[in-house]
Amino acid sequence: MSPRDVGHDGGQFAQVSTGMAHAVEREIGQHLLALAHDGTEAAIDLRSIPMSDADRAELEESLGRGEVSATLDAMGRSDIWETAHAGVWWVRHFGTEGQVMAERIEIARVPDILRADPADVEAAAIRLGRARDFIDAHADSVAGG
Amino acid sequence: MTLLEFARGPAINAALVIFVFGVIWRLFWLLFLPRAADHSVAKLGAGAAVSSAAGGFVRHMWPPREYAARTRFSLIVGYVLHFGLAIIVFGFAQHILFIRDIFGIGWPGLPTGVITVVSVITLAALIAALVRRMTNPVLKMISTFADYWAWFVVTLPVVTGLMAVSHLLLRYEDMLGVHILSVALMLATFPFSKLMHAFLVFVTRSQTSFFYSRRGSHV
Amino acid sequence: MADWMSQQGTVGEALTRQGISRRSLLKYSSYLATLLALPPTSSQAIAQALAGAKRQSVIWLSFQECTGCIESLTRSFSPSVEEMIFNLISLDYQETLQAAAGEAAERARLEAMEANKGKYVVVVDGSVSTRDGGIYSTAAGKTNLEVLKETAKDALAILSVGTCSSFGGIPRAHPNPTGAEPVSAIITDKPIINVSGCPPMPEVIAGTIAYLVTFGKLPELDHLGRPKPFFGDNIHDRCYRRPFYDQGKFAKSFDDAGAREGWCLYELGCKGPVTYNACATIKWNGNTSFPIQSGHGCLGCSEPNFWDAGSFYKPLPGRMTGAGEAVLGAAAVGAVAGAGSAFIARRRKAAASDPSASPSVPEGADQ
Repeated sequence: MSPRDVGHDGGQFAQVSTGMAHAVEREIGQHLLALAHDGTEAAIDLRSIPMSDADRAELEESLGRGEVSATLDAMGRSDIWETAHAGVWWVRHFGTEGQVMAERIEIARVPDILRADPADVEAAAIRLGRARDFIDAHADSVAGG
Repeated sequence: MTLLEFARGPAINAALVIFVFGVIWRLFWLLFLPRAADHSVAKLGAGAAVSSAAGGFVRHMWPPREYAARTRFSLIVGYVLHFGLAIIVFGFAQHILFIRDIFGIGWPGLPTGVITVVSVITLAALIAALVRRMTNPVLKMISTFADYWAWFVVTLPVVTGLMAVSHLLLRYEDMLGVHILSVALMLATFPFSKLMHAFLVFVTRSQTSFFYSRRGSHV
Repeated sequence: MADWMSQQGTVGEALTRQGISRRSLLKYSSYLATLLALPPTSSQAIAQALAGAKRQSVIWLSFQECTGCIESLTRSFSPSVEEMIFNLISLDYQETLQAAAGEAAERARLEAMEANKGKYVVVVDGSVSTRDGGIYSTAAGKTNLEVLKETAKDALAILSVGTCSSFGGIPRAHPNPTGAEPVSAIITDKPIINVSGCPPMPEVIAGTIAYLVTFGKLPELDHLGRPKPFFGDNIHDRCYRRPFYDQGKFAKSFDDAGAREGWCLYELGCKGPVTYNACATIKWNGNTSFPIQSGHGCLGCSEPNFWDAGSFYKPLPGRMTGAGEAVLGAAAVGAVAGAGSAFIARRRKAAASDPSASPSVPEGADQ
């Protein structure tokens, strides 16, 4: 290992698989049963449990990819995809400079962040209404111009 | 000033000053004490002064066969706690740094896990020694406050050190302060307590061996 | 200070005004949940609470400080993430950021105090000069001491940002010429949160403020008044070099083979074992690195008296200061006293062997 490696990846820990991926997978299984049974949603914060980079890679590979994937562009990018297991979503939030801000597994029919929030809908309606009013009011000049 | 700053600062320095003064004072006093010249003629076959003293010292490290069974307990406990203490004091990287800070010399340390195991074993030996002292009728009778004090000031650093490492009772920095203070207490009372045997054992055993050697007896 | 920074109203209104979507707020809430070690499912509730919360009026007072704390917050790795905090608060007074100057600035402070009486939060960076009535640090003709007392009187709570306002910091270092004291030494009747560090981590400053706004109460604090979510663990216990410490593998100098292998910096004076902060977990500059990862031991900057607690390069078991001459002196005095004691014993023995005195006890008779 070169000194550069030590300085930049946080040392040897990052590459070591600790078996945490299996533990998290079991927890996901439990939450998924609850979701199927009575619709209880859950989430697991992958950045606040002691997982190495290798653990997260292992979990990602093991959960696989499903049918849906989405990209969010709000305060930096976010990648959201349904894993091979329906109802298990991987949500990875990046900051504006591409660093990971938060990373979580959500066990839900649809992750909250994908739904349009009523406040945003309302603001959009007002903006759209204003735009329509504006266009209507200036229709003649627009058409004439 | 926090507890740790007090311990690492004035407390440990004052303790070191008292320790050095006390040890040298007692050793000089003993060495310059008047000794009566021995005018007796040595028995035939008595060894030279140095070899008889050294030989006796080595022989005293193990009991004669006829006493083996009776002294087994104290022999084992004694060796375990003395070796244990030596490994802790001279093998733990943190303690080597303390020694290096004072004497300017250091050596490689042992892994923390090894020291932790040794500390627990040493603590067990110390407790066993105390229990025996308090339950054995003869030992109990001849024990004085000085014996219990020596036990206390040696055991306290072992206990507080273990507690600091395992984050028990107090926050680490406070327990580390308590640990250093316990070492300061041990150092400051060392020269005036039975712990002085760490230096005097060489004098007393050698002297006794030499004394008996002249009389034709090997003890 | 931009206008929007000091506008009243709810956080939701401020976001809408700026065209920031609720998805951004939810994303920020996920980040906060991670940061504050809250249950991951709480992010939706946090987002809702924040959207409906009134922007918290904040009066930021800068005393004997270097501006490093506000720099830490405003120039953090990802401005849009940490600047989210300015949507949660109405920053009504901040000397470095505000556009107003002179009397207008002071008026802004007094107006905010009047308008939000009993409800504003005072953020303080810098320690407070108290010697000679606090004359060593003044602004607008008033001493810091006066301004602090005046502003704190009707405050909801005080946030001491940085080691100077939390514990006195470098201005309070020996010989402390200005009589510098932490806020907690002066204000004793208000809740105080200490966000220490020199400077504190931007995530820690912002996270603590976000907690206040979201939950409307103080986070759980440690014995030094620091928020436990960030100051609950010491650097050492969370350090990625910890396995080397346990194996007894230490770098002996900053350029030896051990240092290159990334071994533990304990012997080079690292104060990680007695320092509580989030550097080892959150890390600086967008999770890039922290001092130990960059090859230097922790200085212990988030602890009281870190500047006066002995050399940064002296290992923890080492004494803060040497006692070389005192120890040598003790040895000399011990030798003289020992020889003297023996001499007295010889005199006594000589007196005892005098034929006129009682017979002497032979050597070794007591054995």
